[in-house]
Amino acid sequence: MNNKTNKNIVKVMAVAAVMLGVAAPAAWGRIKLAALPERAATVIRLDNPYATLIEEERVLTLQQGLNEVDFSWKGVSIDEDSIRLAVLSHPDKVKLLNVSYPPGEAALVWQIASEQPYEEQVRISYLLANIDRLITYKALANKAETGVDLKSYLVLRNFSGEDFTQAKVLLDYGEAFEQGISNEETKQMLFLKAAEVPIEKVWTFDAALRPWDPEKEAQNVGIPVSYRIVNDEKSKLGQFALWDGKARIYQDDGHESTIFLGEDVTELVPVGGKMQLYIGDSRDIVVTQRKMREEKINIRRNTGNQIVLYDTDEIITAKLENFKDSPAVLTLIEHIPGQWQMKKCNLKYERKDAGTLEFEIKLAAHGKEELTMHYQRLNVVPDVGRLERIRNR
Amino acid sequence: MKTIIRALLLIAAGAAAAQAKIDLVTLPSRETVQLTIYNSADLTLARESRQLTLKEGENRLEFSWANTLIDPTSLEMLFKANADKIDIADLSYPPRVRELGLWQIASGVSGKVPVEITYLTSGLSWRAFYMGTLADDEKTMHLAGYVRVTNNSGEDYENAQTRLIVGKIHLIDQIAELAQRQWPYGRPGEIPPMAPMARAAKGREEKMALGQAVMSMEMAPKQIVKEGLSEYFLYTIEGTETIPTGWSKRLPSFEAGQVPVVNLYKYEEERYGSEVRRFLSFKNDKDHNLGETPIPDGQLKVYRQVDAAGHLSYEGQSDFKYIPVDQEVELDLGAVQNVTVEPVLMDYQSDKYLFDKDGNIIGWDESRTFKIEVKNTREIPVKVEILRNFNTSSWDISENNEYEKVDKDTIKFSEELAARSEKVINYVLTTHHGTRAD
Repeated sequence: MNNKTNKNIVKVMAVAAVMLGVAAPAAWGRIKLAALPERAATVIRLDNPYATLIEEERVLTLQQGLNEVDFSWKGVSIDEDSIRLAVLSHPDKVKLLNVSYPPGEAALVWQIASEQPYEEQVRISYLLANIDRLITYKALANKAETGVDLKSYLVLRNFSGEDFTQAKVLLDYGEAFEQGISNEETKQMLFLKAAEVPIEKVWTFDAALRPWDPEKEAQNVGIPVSYRIVNDEKSKLGQFALWDGKARIYQDDGHESTIFLGEDVTELVPVGGKMQLYIGDSRDIVVTQRKMREEKINIRRNTGNQIVLYDTDEIITAKLENFKDSPAVLTLIEHIPGQWQMKKCNLKYERKDAGTLEFEIKLAAHGKEELTMHYQRLNVVPDVGRLERIRNR
Repeated sequence: MKTIIRALLLIAAGAAAAQAKIDLVTLPSRETVQLTIYNSADLTLARESRQLTLKEGENRLEFSWANTLIDPTSLEMLFKANADKIDIADLSYPPRVRELGLWQIASGVSGKVPVEITYLTSGLSWRAFYMGTLADDEKTMHLAGYVRVTNNSGEDYENAQTRLIVGKIHLIDQIAELAQRQWPYGRPGEIPPMAPMARAAKGREEKMALGQAVMSMEMAPKQIVKEGLSEYFLYTIEGTETIPTGWSKRLPSFEAGQVPVVNLYKYEEERYGSEVRRFLSFKNDKDHNLGETPIPDGQLKVYRQVDAAGHLSYEGQSDFKYIPVDQEVELDLGAVQNVTVEPVLMDYQSDKYLFDKDGNIIGWDESRTFKIEVKNTREIPVKVEILRNFNTSSWDISENNEYEKVDKDTIKFSEELAARSEKVINYVLTTHHGTRAD
């Protein structure tokens, strides 16, 4: 490992075309000239989450005629096919003729024709592996849990093998900023700060995911608690998509200190979209669900007196208890498969899809509610396999 | 006395490349430290305050934590004064150095500035446990709760304000794993490999420290202030604590006398086999001299006072779940033999056969007459709950109307039995089978 600072592994060398008159290019010895062009402005573009583009500007000392410029790298991973050279000072007078790749070397040779001797400014761009960025979020909720102070950090990770003493870093939005980052260095910078972003706190019980009878469980059945943040102007956000990343949520404890509420990973949230962060489980809201009835009705039989079709008559009850000192709105999700009709339901629900019912149930502090859902599943075929066999006969 | 976490204030000597050691200016010591310890995960939020002496212009602060279990990605620094004049440009984790962070600070002021540094660490933990002492009539129980705080973090936190969090937190990564990563955020394109185990040093040699801490303690047990925050409960232990690494400490959490309890016995073949299990039932509310806060999950050891001299007998123990305020709990103390439940099948009949056109049986009923004998051989009255499961939702009960329907295939009999008494429950269960069940 190279411990020197200011190390440049990616090298550009102008190779004087001393072989004038020698016909076969394959016979050229590649003489690397000692004049190493200094790297000027370097840009690290992190707008693509999957690949990092490096653009660096250098000044090449070109002679009149043919020039060979050797671009080599060692200990870094550059996608060879991504390397581009743009001539900046005299694009009409200086032409890139071809690019050759010497055998067994991480290098390429540009053959450049120049009409005059120039100090030519060029821009070399390439995709460099093992350098990227992460986004992390830190939210500090107020004591009442109505809003958060949201901060987002950009974490630059450079394990590319290359040191960048000073580079312009570009994201897909916002201003570019100057930043140096050495190889194997990780740097964290604040890049978004929004105070008092409104949040919505939600408790969710999904009957398909949670045990029905908490009394029978060895551990408390927690009700997942999430915060919802809308990425829009009303929420003091909405200027750009919020990138995916890990979010840590803290809360003001009212004693000039904080507690850590939990962490989650958010997906990319487009402008107008909702970020939902699962922080932890509430053990102060308890849902006890039971099936009180399941009967076959409206039975239809074949001539052999076998059941071919029936409906069911079912009753589900759910006892919802809030042991908290504060009210809560519980989102209760129930599932009824197949064709069904509700006969009676004492609480209002919204049908989210064919088989999913969503209840928003307001629970007072230390309050209790009970859901009774009486429904019938229709046209149930007792043994699908058997009917299939009959049909296929 | 060992403090491993260090903060060094460095002044940039001009060279941007100066990532090696730069001139050491001050070593600001920790003034106060607050630990918020979780019990549902290996997680502690540490908050320490220090006084930094800043120079106008560029300052660097090196923060290192060798041999501790700090998650470097959780490090944060906040200026508690002149915050608008001081800007933290970045936090860097320099190459080829482990367990070190470097803050670059642009300051518009010079002089002492109070800062607060927070981070998450692992290695500190706490748990709750309880001791219950039943009165000799077993109608009431004296309940004492304790917390035990253990420090295996590698760091001696001296005079720390100690706070405990009760609650179930959602975590993506284990703090202990983050603390042991070679690079704080891993490296691009691969799953972060673990560095060689940098386990926290166990401070066996630090016995003196605890001795001194004990000496300086108040003469009365400390109070624990409890309050609810979000979905959590925060217990703040009065004053400060010094728990050297490797040590743990027990503190009383609460005490409630004369908690009325019900001696409940349960029988359910499908859950407990043929044994009767003893439960202690009470409610976490004011009527039971409780109900101030939820009771964190833990183990309860139950004793019974056997004589006026205060001698005790050990009755059993129960691991119980978190108990919210106002919830009724039933603590399972295990199988007993002094209360028995014996269901006896007294008669079996089948009836109401149905046949298809070929003469095969397609439906029928079965009737079972049960006699359940319940005996209480104890000197105290008890409550017995018997659950019967039927494996079908097509059933009828006759010759008994004392039962409660629990769900579609379960019923419950509840009986109160006086001291040294017996009871008999009779019922006939009819189940419908085949097309009789449709």
